[in-house]
Amino acid sequence: MASPGTLTLVSTKDEDPASLPVVPARHPWRWVGVAFVLVLVAQFVHGLVTNPAWDWPTFARYFTAQSILTAVGTTVLLTVLGTALGFALGVVVAVLRMSRSPFLRAVGWTYIWAFRSIPLIVQLLFWFNISYLYQRLSLGVPFGPELVSFETIELISPMGAAVLGLALHQAAYAAEIVRSGVVSVDRGQLEAAAALGIPRLRQFRRIVLPQAMRSILPNAANEVISLFKGTSVVSVMAIGELFYQVQVIYGRNARVVALLMVATVWYIVLTTLLSIGQHYVERHFARGDRR
Amino acid sequence: MIEILGVHKSFGSLEVLRGVSLEVAAGEVVVVLGPSGSGKSTLLRTINHLEKVDRGFITIDGRLIGYRKRGGKLHELKEREILKQRKDIGFVFQNFNLFPHLTALENVAEAADLASARQFLDRVGLGDRAGSYPRQLSGGQQQRVAIARALATQPKVVLFDEPTSALDPELVGEVLDVLRDLARSGTTMVVVTHEIGFAREVADRIVFMDQGVIVEQGTPAEVLDNPAHDRTRAFLSKVL
Repeated sequence: MASPGTLTLVSTKDEDPASLPVVPARHPWRWVGVAFVLVLVAQFVHGLVTNPAWDWPTFARYFTAQSILTAVGTTVLLTVLGTALGFALGVVVAVLRMSRSPFLRAVGWTYIWAFRSIPLIVQLLFWFNISYLYQRLSLGVPFGPELVSFETIELISPMGAAVLGLALHQAAYAAEIVRSGVVSVDRGQLEAAAALGIPRLRQFRRIVLPQAMRSILPNAANEVISLFKGTSVVSVMAIGELFYQVQVIYGRNARVVALLMVATVWYIVLTTLLSIGQHYVERHFARGDRR
Repeated sequence: MIEILGVHKSFGSLEVLRGVSLEVAAGEVVVVLGPSGSGKSTLLRTINHLEKVDRGFITIDGRLIGYRKRGGKLHELKEREILKQRKDIGFVFQNFNLFPHLTALENVAEAADLASARQFLDRVGLGDRAGSYPRQLSGGQQQRVAIARALATQPKVVLFDEPTSALDPELVGEVLDVLRDLARSGTTMVVVTHEIGFAREVADRIVFMDQGVIVEQGTPAEVLDNPAHDRTRAFLSKVL
């Protein structure tokens, strides 16, 4: 007796069950969804092509203009330096934060607290204006004689101030990302390394970090991409990166939309390249996890 | 060889080791039996200083482990010196703890050079799996790689913390075979295990622990067939 909701086996008296064809489940609503989205996309593309306000001829004229390419170069340089210095310092801060010494832990914690508390734009303006605070920087005995000294304004250029600000800001976030990766590594891994007498630095570099990278990478990629677009903040310091450059140009010719599209498309292109890079780096660190 | 003297260890208010003393001679195979929570794994972990002791001390070949004696006090050693001491003490974990991002050969080579790493893999019968990652190996094979890794620092003594407890029953035999070979070749071993049959066959001495103390010890015949203590009898009646 088959009550509702229970399965009954088909009679196999005159049928070979192994020869029954399998019909995949059908999903008619997916096709409705696809049609709906296609219509929206078509409308958007139609608008892009037919609405003259997008001003594609101006876009085309500026997209590969020398001034824009130089600005893209500056944006990439800021991103690369900010990421490299930021993550290098971030690993150090993370190690301090996880140290067995309460003193070093406090130093790491304070760094992260301070640089996460100050808005990036405020910090950048501080570095940009550091020469108002300290006109000369010198090395010497604390409260005693100076050995060498520099004019602050010569030592820290606007570009230098921008890199410094981005890197210090990035380091605080990078430190927490690295730490999250390290605490995700199984304790047994450290015990095994300790039991083999592997020196501490090698334990970290060879055993912990490669495993931590699995969970560090997606977050780190987020940070790099967000830093890449965040470099546009540097425009407040009149540095000729991409966003500052398009502002200068549309200030002159009033083609605001076309020039914002120039910047937007460059940001999209470069972010896409970063995402592709992320895929390959992640695959590298997933070795040992595939059968 | 190993001398454990009056070792106490507490985790918070729970006293796990309550004055344990034990000597292990060179080449001897000592099997530690006891119910779970009796402190046998903790005792093993104090021998290579993975756990610090609260009182008492441990020496290997007369050298204090983890401390230096000076002016009537025990001074804790620096991390670097402890790491160096651990090269004399091999440790095999219940959960293998192989490094998952390294191949079998690379795992062993963390503790030795490549050429001898290969020899140690051969010795546990896994020379042909050198390039495999831990996930590609069975549990028994993983534990054999872990044993090769523990041997790679050429330790004076090898400690085994329930080496077969995480294995499917049909894989226990291959790991016990490796342990048997080691015992026969004169390796000094301390083995915490629940494999009574293995203990009877391989152990020179069986130590029975309960509630943080050594209740009794002796040859397998003495402890397993003719236990002197009620607690030993009660434990054996459950596992035999």
